[in-house]
Amino acid sequence: MSLAFALVWLLPLAAGIALWLALVPRRGPGWLAATLGHGGVFGMLLAAACTSLFARADTAHAWTHAGLPLAIFAVATAFVAWRRMRERESASMEKLENANKWINGLLAIALASLAFRGWLMLREIWLRPTFPWDAWDAWAVKSKTWFLLGHYAPFVSMSDWLAQPAKELYTGVAWAYPATLGWMQVWFASAAGGWIEPQVNLPWFALWVGLLLGHYGQWRALGVSRVIALAGMYALGSLPLLDVHVALAGYADLWLAAMLGFAALAWLRWRRERDVGQLLVAIICVVLLPTIKLEGAIWLLLCVAVAVYDVLPRRWRRWALAGSACVLLLLACVRHIALPVPGLGWVQITHAGIVVPGLGEYSLRFNADAFLSLLNSLFVQPNWHLLWWLVPGIVLWRWRALREDAALRHLGAFVLLGFAFLCFLFTCTDASRWAESYTAVNRLILQLVPATVTVLTLACRALEPARTHPSPVARFDPA
Amino acid sequence: MIRRIACAVALVLVWILVLGWAAGLSWNAPLQPARTKALAGDTFRTVLGAGVQDEGSLRVGAVGDDGNALQSLTMDGIRAADYPILRYRFEDFPRTLELSLVFRRADAPTDVRSITVPWPSAGWQTVDLGRLPEWRGTIVELGFAEYATAQLVPPSVAFKPFRFDRAELASPSWRGGLAALYTSWFAYVPWALHSISALMPDRATFGTASPVPVLVIGMLLSVFVLAGFLRWPRRRVLQGAGIAALLLWLVLDARWLRDFDARHGLTERLYAGKTWDERLHLLPDQDLAFMAAQIGAWLDSQPPGQRLLVAADSNYAFLRLIYLLLPHNAALLQLAGAAPLPPDSLVLLYASTQWRYDEARGAIVGGARAYPADPVFESGLAHVYRLRSDAP
Repeated sequence: MSLAFALVWLLPLAAGIALWLALVPRRGPGWLAATLGHGGVFGMLLAAACTSLFARADTAHAWTHAGLPLAIFAVATAFVAWRRMRERESASMEKLENANKWINGLLAIALASLAFRGWLMLREIWLRPTFPWDAWDAWAVKSKTWFLLGHYAPFVSMSDWLAQPAKELYTGVAWAYPATLGWMQVWFASAAGGWIEPQVNLPWFALWVGLLLGHYGQWRALGVSRVIALAGMYALGSLPLLDVHVALAGYADLWLAAMLGFAALAWLRWRRERDVGQLLVAIICVVLLPTIKLEGAIWLLLCVAVAVYDVLPRRWRRWALAGSACVLLLLACVRHIALPVPGLGWVQITHAGIVVPGLGEYSLRFNADAFLSLLNSLFVQPNWHLLWWLVPGIVLWRWRALREDAALRHLGAFVLLGFAFLCFLFTCTDASRWAESYTAVNRLILQLVPATVTVLTLACRALEPARTHPSPVARFDPA
Repeated sequence: MIRRIACAVALVLVWILVLGWAAGLSWNAPLQPARTKALAGDTFRTVLGAGVQDEGSLRVGAVGDDGNALQSLTMDGIRAADYPILRYRFEDFPRTLELSLVFRRADAPTDVRSITVPWPSAGWQTVDLGRLPEWRGTIVELGFAEYATAQLVPPSVAFKPFRFDRAELASPSWRGGLAALYTSWFAYVPWALHSISALMPDRATFGTASPVPVLVIGMLLSVFVLAGFLRWPRRRVLQGAGIAALLLWLVLDARWLRDFDARHGLTERLYAGKTWDERLHLLPDQDLAFMAAQIGAWLDSQPPGQRLLVAADSNYAFLRLIYLLLPHNAALLQLAGAAPLPPDSLVLLYASTQWRYDEARGAIVGGARAYPADPVFESGLAHVYRLRSDAP
């Protein structure tokens, strides 16, 4: 293992951890897992940002150009983190829970299976050249071009490419896709010393580890017992299609899922503790969504809508719901309407269809076969184990817990609205062909999976009798 | 005690019903098949590749020029409806190969029908051909074809000798139906390009299916039976349902891990212990990679800033070529539409029937469009042309 390889991994990890601790300095249950999980993922995105800012002129040595600013950032934020951690008292750690030995045994098996699949995924990434279609057709095109070219070159539409033959412009089917993950791949490729696909795909494994640790840590901080948090982590990490997105690395959907999941968790913690740092984490995660994948703009809009609804006084909420109903009615009555969507531009809606810049044009008609395909994806195919069978059961079973926790209820509403949107997209628009061919339906569902598992895990958090000391993080914290 | 015995009997009945339903069995189907037709490996003749008879089996030692092997047996006209259950057994079948069942019917003797069937791991594999619409009428020929797993295995390293032991056709029975159900749930299915979008074995390979709905229904009915016979209170029912869900999740996950491990086994076999450069020569699309390397080397010898427009009939081929050619500035010809192409642009035609070079006109012609161009490079199926300045 070369020094460069070690540095390009350690530097983002250090920067990400420092950023997380600067924002969330308090130690409490799960803080180490949350720090490592969020730190790892944020670090890779910070490396992407630094590469795009400081290494455009010399992408072949990107990490040497972007490494110094990243190191300075890491040191500066580490200093801030150190100051803030000194000011904050640590939450007293919980005693180990004396879980039933059968449960302990099952959890040990579950964690061993996570470790085993982690090993399989790591080896799969490490050995196989980039395999899935869009990974090489869409997501790695910009990064491979910039790295092998030695410098940045703009990607433009085909018409612009043809109109300006003298300029160094590139085009492709995914020319409008965000470049964040591409810049991250440039960072890792530059340390590998060549376009070595397993090394540029390795961040997907780190993302999986970060996703699981981040969720476990935040669930613990939200008052979930160790047993249920571990069970939730196993449930999330064992989902077959999620595993596939790690093993056959290169797609952006898992990044979107992780950021959406992190945003939901940070928002829940802000709601519970009123910690501004968590609110900032939530905002950062949500703002980053459209910079990872274009449909992230839809989730951003939905997040903003639910968050605004959540902060409204109770009597205003009725007006907000009535206003939303009016907007829907307006959309149904008016022949043409244009709505601005951050990250996408002006979305044109008519009775005949919807035109989304960068994503395409979708005519409106109900497709029953696509609806059956959607059900097939959720309940029949082996993509999600029992997840979607369990969702209605757990919601009914834990209905009171969901109803009594406003934040959890609103997160549940977010997931429900997200599914309503996907259902509309895949059954009432031209996108139904992607549902019928199963080419996109599961990948968009994947984006909502971590947030869904969070709702289920938190709904089950009060299942166990409280054997532990109450966690101070559970108390209102005005800071 | 009697209640518990009745509960156990009811549970057994529930699972018999559920599994029988999943296997498509009727209640009056016999336990053992009424008719069987054994097809020993050495009765098959080698149509493609090379094979020798070896103590009742057929040892296949080589593939044909096209990389495929095919063994076939002419049959004395059996009714497909009488023999819907097919069992087959191979030894040392390489994980790099896919297996297809090929057959001909008396009503269309010139049509060869082929379906991919589950990969033959150790022991018997069973498929229920009764679910295959083409399996009808009278079967006059039946065989097995082997070839490199499409889009996953480089053809040059796909083949290793194996032994075709025997096959067997049988009438419907509980034994055959349940064996087919077992194969459909646990057969190895290789990675495919669509794996990233959905794990849907039922579409990729005939005779494979997801166990999720069947096991969920079986578990739910089991909990109802337990709750009914043992008079569980509501809280106990919830606990039972929770434990059932947990156990079922673990079972499904164990199945997925076994499947994942098998898929990864192929990756290990192909790429483990090799340098990155060696692995680059083992891409599944070796022909395209070779072509791209040739064209890339030629482009390197040209003045910098060359732009290349690529056309091929296959979406996979042109997109893959563009990726493999990077950082050369390549784009899709079909996206240009009716827009004029810059003079001196290069056009790469790869196995394209939509576009061709008309020597008489000295132009690339596709549909109503024609671009005056000169051939400048050629390698196998790839032809590169440079547009002349009089191009539209």
